[in-house]
Amino acid sequence: MAINKSNIANVNQRPVHTLWGDAWFRLRKNKLAMAGGIFIILLSLAAIFAPFITHYGFAQQDLTAILQGPSAKHWLGTDGLGRDTFARLLYGARTSLAVGIFTQVIVVGIGLPIGAVAGYAGGSLDNILMRFVDVMYSFPSILLIILMKAILGGGIYQLFFAIGLVSWVDIARLVRGQIMSIKSRDYVAAARAMGGMGPYITERHLLPNSLGPIIVTVTFSVPQAIFAEATLSFMGIGVRPPTPSWGTMINDGYAVLFSSWYQVLFPALAIALLMISFTFLGDGLRDALDPKMRH
Amino acid sequence: MAPLLEVRNIKTYFYTQDGVVKAVDGVSYDVNRGETIALVGESGCGKTVSALSILRLVGEPAGKIVAGEILFDGIDLLKLSKEEMRKMRGAKISIIFQEPLTSLNPVLTIGRQISEGMEFHKNMSPSEGMEEATRLLKMVGIPHPDRRIHDYPHQFSGGMRQRAMIAIAIACQPQLIIADEPTTVVDVTIQAQLLELIRNITKELNTSLILITHNLGIVARYAQRVFVMYAGNIVEHGKALDVYHAPYHPYTAGLLGSVPRLDEPRKARLQPIEGQPPDLIALPVGCSFQARCAYSVPQCLKEKPRLLEVAPNHYAACWVSQKELKPWQIL
Amino acid sequence: MADIIIEVNNLAKYFPVTRGLLRRQKIADVKAVDGVSFAIHKGETLGLVGESGCGKTTLGKCILQLIRPTSGEVIFEGRDLCELTDKELVPVRAKLQMIFQDPYDSLDPRFTAMEIIGEPLRIHHISKGKEYSDHVLELLNLVGLAPYMAQRYPHEFSGGQRQRLGIARALALQPQFIMCDEPISALDVSIQAQIINLLDDLQQKFGVSYLFISHDLSVVRHLSDRVVVMYLGKVMEISNRDELYKNPLHPYTQALLSAVPIPDPVVEMKRQVIVLQGEVPSPMNPPSGCVFHPRCYRAFGDCSQVVPLLADAGGGHQVACLLYETSRP
Repeated sequence: MAINKSNIANVNQRPVHTLWGDAWFRLRKNKLAMAGGIFIILLSLAAIFAPFITHYGFAQQDLTAILQGPSAKHWLGTDGLGRDTFARLLYGARTSLAVGIFTQVIVVGIGLPIGAVAGYAGGSLDNILMRFVDVMYSFPSILLIILMKAILGGGIYQLFFAIGLVSWVDIARLVRGQIMSIKSRDYVAAARAMGGMGPYITERHLLPNSLGPIIVTVTFSVPQAIFAEATLSFMGIGVRPPTPSWGTMINDGYAVLFSSWYQVLFPALAIALLMISFTFLGDGLRDALDPKMRH
Repeated sequence: MAPLLEVRNIKTYFYTQDGVVKAVDGVSYDVNRGETIALVGESGCGKTVSALSILRLVGEPAGKIVAGEILFDGIDLLKLSKEEMRKMRGAKISIIFQEPLTSLNPVLTIGRQISEGMEFHKNMSPSEGMEEATRLLKMVGIPHPDRRIHDYPHQFSGGMRQRAMIAIAIACQPQLIIADEPTTVVDVTIQAQLLELIRNITKELNTSLILITHNLGIVARYAQRVFVMYAGNIVEHGKALDVYHAPYHPYTAGLLGSVPRLDEPRKARLQPIEGQPPDLIALPVGCSFQARCAYSVPQCLKEKPRLLEVAPNHYAACWVSQKELKPWQIL
Repeated sequence: MADIIIEVNNLAKYFPVTRGLLRRQKIADVKAVDGVSFAIHKGETLGLVGESGCGKTTLGKCILQLIRPTSGEVIFEGRDLCELTDKELVPVRAKLQMIFQDPYDSLDPRFTAMEIIGEPLRIHHISKGKEYSDHVLELLNLVGLAPYMAQRYPHEFSGGQRQRLGIARALALQPQFIMCDEPISALDVSIQAQIINLLDDLQQKFGVSYLFISHDLSVVRHLSDRVVVMYLGKVMEISNRDELYKNPLHPYTQALLSAVPIPDPVVEMKRQVIVLQGEVPSPMNPPSGCVFHPRCYRAFGDCSQVVPLLADAGGGHQVACLLYETSRP
């Protein structure tokens, strides 16, 4: 049988490229994504190690030093109750990051199974689930969150749950779409032809191949969740004081906007930077995970 | 009489992140008036790119025609301005693409698309254009043309879309038509219809035709002369009769030997060409076909052969054939 | 003739076309496969040829129960596969495998070659550890690929090599039957011949039967022992390989053969091309009587009224055409 020359081809020279390895390589080349990623990591570290970075507590009041501008003692100044702005920013970061990440756990935890089942089952089950999704989608989210809070209470965990509950719809739709498109691929038919059943195929073929867009969407959802929390806190229906939140800081600073405008500036800037970082990272991930592989 | 089209030593390169892809690397061919020639080769050989180069449709800035001349009726097309070139396309030289679904505009009616060219090149009014479009649709065998000029591409079947493309191509009575794999996507019986149609029309209008294909059968049926391409070069050319019966390049012989024929008793085994086509970014020194050639000699590794006449009006780029002056046997 | 391993009886697959949002009403049926019968023998290659819309791919998938037929039987090992549930089919699936047309789509881009070829072994819990990897490497070797390629991903292989992976995968469980769905259409001409030879060699070695589906008549004829010609969901003709070209009985087969150009200018100059008129009608609205009659250049009165039977016109050569006495019901 002819073996000799068919094997040589293009395969031997290049090193092994695993798919995740290749994606990481491409991500590293994207400077904006890397910048975003680094900022997120640095901010997370700063938030975790806040007590070591600043000796001020986030609720520590000093009524002798109200509404001060940036100085050697208070790096970013103080607010209306003499609380150090820099400390509040660091501790506020904890809240924002926590919200951003934990809501995604709920979003994926609800959205992924629903989307996967709808996508794989098709037919009437798909129909029912998608109509349910449509209903959820048409609910005004703010009202739903307020409702949730009224029922569940005002703690931060309840807030995660509430925001997560209104945000899973996009993931569900995405997962469903991905699964439906992959379901029709020949390699899935091949797996069925070998005797593979539903759960096996979903676990080994459908989900791994949908992972790319799911990761990207989740990365983009994080800034949305962060912004949701900030907005709610700004309106006074997010986290309750004394839990620090950038949104609350903006609310507090709003009252003295014209005299101490930096009270609004710093938390707003922080929100913006964190959101942009996740967005750049998401963009980079989307490009890096693009299945159009280099050949 | 001078040929209608003379492609002289064209080089079209693509500049990519991974390197320079020498899609067409010194290709020359010519087409006489009223003649049908074929450019034959497998994917990646450069046949489509060389045809797009004639019409200067190669995507800039990634793709560039870096050298050569293209003489059409004595004028070098590469030296024309963009305006002048636009007047050529569709009027003097037109092209039929492989995939009518993507080359037809989905939001314009078929009638509008046919008349567009005529409005631009022949200064017709839209209503005159539509009338002419009806006549053209009839010519290409579409029933009820007066109704169908108002249809959109998606309302046509694949075969009919190709007919519409043919109608667009002949609308301004071009002197040269380039057909790039015009029947690859349609069924065999529709392919026969379309190719017979193209043959009849080119005969009637005395149009020259460049038929680009990988199908050796189509070439045998429709082309008078054949140019065989491999890895960006022409490796053999001559009259179809000569090339098919006495190929002077091992690739041509290999291709002919690896295709099963309906009319011959069944061979025990086909004789495939071993290996894979080369990477156009990293072409080897010497003959591009050498790695897959069963007959190579040391010279093939060192120097790239050029096209030389090996028999009357029959050219091949192979060191061995040029020396022995004997054709290869089709196994 | 060797034993029959698969018998297809009156297989039909209709796809309903529905309208309405909540209460789906059926307005028509797309008769993709409409009453097809034939048998496949041990070690034989049965070619299945026809143009797009003739139902050949759907038929292949129906035999493998990847699409459940609307009616009819597929008898394998004494049982009708259409009656078995998905779970009951799992052990049977080991013996009936498939090779796909698209070398880029038929392999999971996230699996290595080792995992792709070994998947059938894993699903059926056949071997583990060293035995498993030895088995996979042996399969790799069988299809002409080198051992180090086991760790590569599909995108690192060429089209022809990917098809070899698909073939190795299909062979993993030593099936009795492999359905080849246009396995070489997406490949270059010179690579096609390599794969054709490979399939041929493997059949000689393992005695596996093939259903070779293709629109390329020349290739089908080369590989097949017998050929089935389909048109619009029905069988027009079944003949053995040599008879098909020497003596095609059905006008559609004749037109099909005439339409295929032969790579020889001398031969071509002497041939007359039968050009069929019109387009292939939609399977949603098939013509009455003989489905081919609107385009048939030999059609006469009864052809639009009477559905011809697929019957033996002599020497195992079956045809469904009213030009032949045996086809008249």
